[in-house]
Amino acid sequence: MTLYSFVGLGLILFAVGAAGFFLRRNAVVLLLCIEIMLNAVNLIFAAFARYLYGTEGQVFIFIIMTVAAAEAAVGLGIIIALYGSHRTLDMSIIKELKG
Amino acid sequence: MSADFCGAREGIMETVIFWTLSTLAVVAALAVVFFKKAINGVMSLLAFMLVLAGLYVLMGAPLVAFFQVIVYVGAVLVLFVFVVMLLNLKEASVRKPFAALAGAAIPAVLSAVGVAALAWLALGERTLAKGAFLPPAPGIRQLAVDLFTRHLLIFELTSVLLFAAAVGAIVISRKEKKES
Repeated sequence: MTLYSFVGLGLILFAVGAAGFFLRRNAVVLLLCIEIMLNAVNLIFAAFARYLYGTEGQVFIFIIMTVAAAEAAVGLGIIIALYGSHRTLDMSIIKELKG
Repeated sequence: MSADFCGAREGIMETVIFWTLSTLAVVAALAVVFFKKAINGVMSLLAFMLVLAGLYVLMGAPLVAFFQVIVYVGAVLVLFVFVVMLLNLKEASVRKPFAALAGAAIPAVLSAVGVAALAWLALGERTLAKGAFLPPAPGIRQLAVDLFTRHLLIFELTSVLLFAAAVGAIVISRKEKKES
């Protein structure tokens, strides 16, 4: 259980979240994958905060958690608005911005 | 707890707990990606968050673990479940074929490798190669003092951001009134 273990775990989780983001079409699942990626980054921050014996890493984690909560609130609001206007959450159908 | 549990000498118990929790975390993350229904994904993410809270405790950051449970499990995931129940999604999202799966995995793996290379470059001078054990973590008191003195401006800005996001979410998701 070294620093490398935690960093490796964080990288694996980030890769899983990123792959899910590119893979899925449901908008809610896309937000879930974003949460996975944010948590992977949080894990790496916590590992380095402990390794370097500083508090900045944990302060960063708190800020990231707050931003993630704000992002989830706004994202779910956008999802509700999208469902109201399109009656679907399939991102392969909602592509007006694709040009 | 901080004296002997988080000491420089690692026990076999912590290694076992770490590998168990990390396996559970990866499995839960994969379940989020591969479950068809959104509500199953949300429940898997709940398991993921709880496992990560356990990892934070193992890492000597119990305050982060508390906030993980309170903020994510208590607020964010409840919001997700609320929206999924509210929208009553019936149709399952169609899964892409295998070629698209491979095409999606490539950028993910590339990004992970890129981050790993950056970390390796940035930390090349330090003595990480020995696989040094993690030193004891800073205490909650030191963390609180730092948060409310050196990082006070960021703290206040974050509260403003959270307020703006809450108002924005309400404005976005409410129904538009007719032009009067």
